[in-house]
Amino acid sequence: MGYKYVGKGVPRVDAFEKITGMAKFVADMEVFAMLYGKFLRSPHAHARILSIDTKRAEKHPGVVAAITGQAFPYRMGLYVRDKMVLAKDKVRWAGEPVAAVAAESEESAEEAIELIDVKYEPLAPVFDVNEALKPGAPLLHEDLAQYEHSPVFTPVPGTNIANIFKIRKGDVEDGFKRARTIVENEFSMPQVSHGAMEPRACIAQYFQDGSTEVWTCAQSPFAVRYILSHALGMPLQKINVHVPHVGGGFGGKAGINFEPLAVLLSKFSGGRPVKLLLTREEEFTTAPLRQGFYASIKTGVDGDGKIIAEQMRYIYDAGAYADYGVNIGRAAGYSCTGPYEVPNIHCDSITAYTNHPYGTAYRGFGHLEFLWAIERQMDMVAHKIGVDPVEIRLRNALRPGSITATGEKLREDAGRVDQCIKAAAESIGWGKKEKQTCDGRLQGIGIAALWKAPAMPPNAASSAIIKFNEDGSANLSVGVTEIGQGTTTSLAQIAAEELSMSFEKIRVVPVRITDLTPYSWQTVASRNLFMEGRAVIAAARDAKEQILDMGAQALRVPKADLVLENEMVFPKGQPDKGIPLQQFAMGYTYPNGTAIGGPVIGRGGYVPRGLTYLDPETGQGFPALKWTFGAQAVKIEVDPETGEVKVLKVASAFDIGKAINPLLVRGQVYGGMLQSLSIGLMEGYVYNQAGVMLNSNFTDYKIARASDVPDEHVVTLIENPQSDGPYGARGIGELTMLSIPPAIAGAIFDATGVQMFKLPMTPESIWTTIKQQKPELLARKR
Amino acid sequence: MLPKFDYIAPKTIEETFELLDKHGQDARLLAGGTDLIVSLRARERIPKAVIDIKAMKELHDLSFDEKRGLSIGAAVTLNRLLHYDATSKHFPVLCEAVSTIGDYEIRNRATLTGNICNASPAADSAPALLVLEAAVNVASRKGRRSIPVREFFAGVKKTVLARGEMVTSINVPTPPKGSRGGYLKARRTVGEDLAVVGVGGLVTPSSKSSKTVRLAYASVAPTPVRALEAEKIFERDKPLDELLDQAMPIVSKTISPITDVRGGKEYRTNLVEVLTRRLLQRLWEAN
Repeated sequence: MGYKYVGKGVPRVDAFEKITGMAKFVADMEVFAMLYGKFLRSPHAHARILSIDTKRAEKHPGVVAAITGQAFPYRMGLYVRDKMVLAKDKVRWAGEPVAAVAAESEESAEEAIELIDVKYEPLAPVFDVNEALKPGAPLLHEDLAQYEHSPVFTPVPGTNIANIFKIRKGDVEDGFKRARTIVENEFSMPQVSHGAMEPRACIAQYFQDGSTEVWTCAQSPFAVRYILSHALGMPLQKINVHVPHVGGGFGGKAGINFEPLAVLLSKFSGGRPVKLLLTREEEFTTAPLRQGFYASIKTGVDGDGKIIAEQMRYIYDAGAYADYGVNIGRAAGYSCTGPYEVPNIHCDSITAYTNHPYGTAYRGFGHLEFLWAIERQMDMVAHKIGVDPVEIRLRNALRPGSITATGEKLREDAGRVDQCIKAAAESIGWGKKEKQTCDGRLQGIGIAALWKAPAMPPNAASSAIIKFNEDGSANLSVGVTEIGQGTTTSLAQIAAEELSMSFEKIRVVPVRITDLTPYSWQTVASRNLFMEGRAVIAAARDAKEQILDMGAQALRVPKADLVLENEMVFPKGQPDKGIPLQQFAMGYTYPNGTAIGGPVIGRGGYVPRGLTYLDPETGQGFPALKWTFGAQAVKIEVDPETGEVKVLKVASAFDIGKAINPLLVRGQVYGGMLQSLSIGLMEGYVYNQAGVMLNSNFTDYKIARASDVPDEHVVTLIENPQSDGPYGARGIGELTMLSIPPAIAGAIFDATGVQMFKLPMTPESIWTTIKQQKPELLARKR
Repeated sequence: MLPKFDYIAPKTIEETFELLDKHGQDARLLAGGTDLIVSLRARERIPKAVIDIKAMKELHDLSFDEKRGLSIGAAVTLNRLLHYDATSKHFPVLCEAVSTIGDYEIRNRATLTGNICNASPAADSAPALLVLEAAVNVASRKGRRSIPVREFFAGVKKTVLARGEMVTSINVPTPPKGSRGGYLKARRTVGEDLAVVGVGGLVTPSSKSSKTVRLAYASVAPTPVRALEAEKIFERDKPLDELLDQAMPIVSKTISPITDVRGGKEYRTNLVEVLTRRLLQRLWEAN
């Protein structure tokens, strides 16, 4: 079908603002009479707070308020209400805020923090998730039984289990009995930081009547408002949350961060607004991060390499608080097999408390973690039974009609992971490899597949408003925030296509203000192009109906015979008999001055259809609005003597249904690849024995830079449309980073014959592994 | 936020001497600031006075002549040094080492003098200056002296500078004709990083069949170190591989790598061996 805007790589609607520096971020903002907030961090990973003395801080010049956990001794949380705004009674990680001040200047606030005297009694900490789950381990939350929590989750009082999600499908014991080969392995990865360019920033002002204004770099303004309302006991309509441009989110700004602390500081400062802007060091030590992960997997395959039974134990390191972590464990649990059909499954996906900083959403929401494990396992099974890694994936790939781990029968128009695997393999040169070596460096290729559905409540909603202006242009308002992903540009393309009007005449309202903006559950989960896309289509059609209603009267032609095309309303086949769209924007006015209709405002909403909660004992049910499938392959070069790896080429393939804006899709694919390469090769929190982070800066917490970008990246976009997606589209944002690390590990095996089990695969860890598994590679050649 | 301090930018060196005498340990000198500002922000050591040396014209001098060698003023930035023709022509080891410090933007501000005065064991320029046998020119109200770079470092982040002294320039003698130098650095990413191990080498033909070799290392001891004992092995007329086999055990006695967040002791020891072999193989063949 010939579309005018859909499927075209139009430039981003916010390109000019961002390139010129016009775009406003909360980190840049100041409001009248603003104070600066600063918090004091716990030096201990686990300790009882014996006393906090803020008297000296209060007297420090410029200080307006100094508060402790006593100021607001109530628990809050996304799914489990386990966290206070400031630690009270005890601290649970080194970096947890224990007290805060608001002052006239940043300097004053920073100096005042040093004057707060806290007395602690250190408690035994627990850092390793497996240790945390052992009986007798130090408990993070002694009062877990008293915490309120969402009925979807199951914290286990008396343990460090924040949630346990189970899949029980078929008969796994019987499956293992019938298996020809059984492979068992353990895998892990550390916590990593989002590293967004804009650190967490917010400004809050609490008014005497209890109403509150918040400016924040949040991904989900409505989630911030909702949690603030519940935590502070204020009605929703008295809270107004503003979100301008956001300088990168990646999940780290998906829920609520430091907004409640800013509100409390404002309240205790007589209602003056208070800004909290984290330093990079605080981003590392105190802001939530990507959870650490441990997996043990047992896989049974038959003689044809078909998986017949699989038992997984996934443990996510929640750190001190549950936040999104419990839902990450749940999402990983229902996707636990990767994109493969497995008839017999036993999976426990546990989210465990430890004395680490707490985890939250991060692009991929648990999938990068378990795909690291399950795709590595796939390679090792293939190796054990002597089947090619591409072949074993194709033999087990989910296809339309296959049954997933939760018992969902994949729809007829489901995406095709087999096509993705073949495309990525083809692009990387699978099967044609001539092993090259250059100066002792060994080349190898690897591949891994992936899948993900949005992890969200079955009733997560989206909406859109298209409000026409006097000149026939229109403003598109949506609740999805612009965090760099470009969704709003694609939504404007959809609106322009539906209304058959010029893309340039649609302004995407660049700020989100909960008082004015239509509702969106959250900007997460690669859900917004699909769900906001559906809402925008509905809003556009609603506006079009209003325009055609007026057109029918004005032209005295039945509505069914009218078309709206190129900003004209006219009887089918007679564009010369039409009236310009602009003449209907504020209602239609006849030549004699009589008016009909009114200003055109289209509204549209969308909720997924037919999703269900999952059975608490078996995990069976229907969790997925859509599955996006993909595969990623890499070609690398390893220097065995130093362990250095260079990724030479990447091939990515995704079945995204329809690329509404192929340019933006590629942007996502390139960015996600590099973020994931970075996690695969270099990122990770490093602690000393007391649980204090040792690399809380970009000197020693390495992230990929421009020079780490591979020379070549072949992107294949496969478009098997999903019939209920907007123009057939599925989501892509998170998918782009899911399988690079296992593909690299596969390539390292191909190049050197060594198997990697832990991330990150640093030069040192690769060299160490070669020394253990293949010392002959290091024998000096003469 | 930075801690509070007095910022002073004296125009003359005499004024600077007075300030250094007055403030002693409470003063820090500022050139590019790429190390100092980071340490101030981390409140590692809070000075009362920060003395900016960039207002003194003579500290910006950069000159070369075959006899005197390369003279690099304390305020000369790394990029200016790298873009100076004589540097790449006569001092490739210095070029290679300096071009791995930070990234381009950092090198626009950072100085060679700052790199050695910071006295990090990981200073990339140090192995190059060590094998080139550079001299550090130091001045104070009491007078001037020249310190061989090999004697300049006193420990982690410590130099031998006495109270009231400052480095005014670094003098690098022109290496003998026919000598070849290079710097290899192991890092944690393809991108910019501090040295996990850095190796500088200079190979000079001393007769028809023998060579003199100079080797120095970063990030494997409390200070950058020169491997003087091991260097003697290479004076013998033997195939390089054989010489390396004899020299490497001696190198490993010179170094004392530790395990830290950037790398383990064992890995660093391995890198010293691998990089030394690679560097000398490269410098050897072309001679």
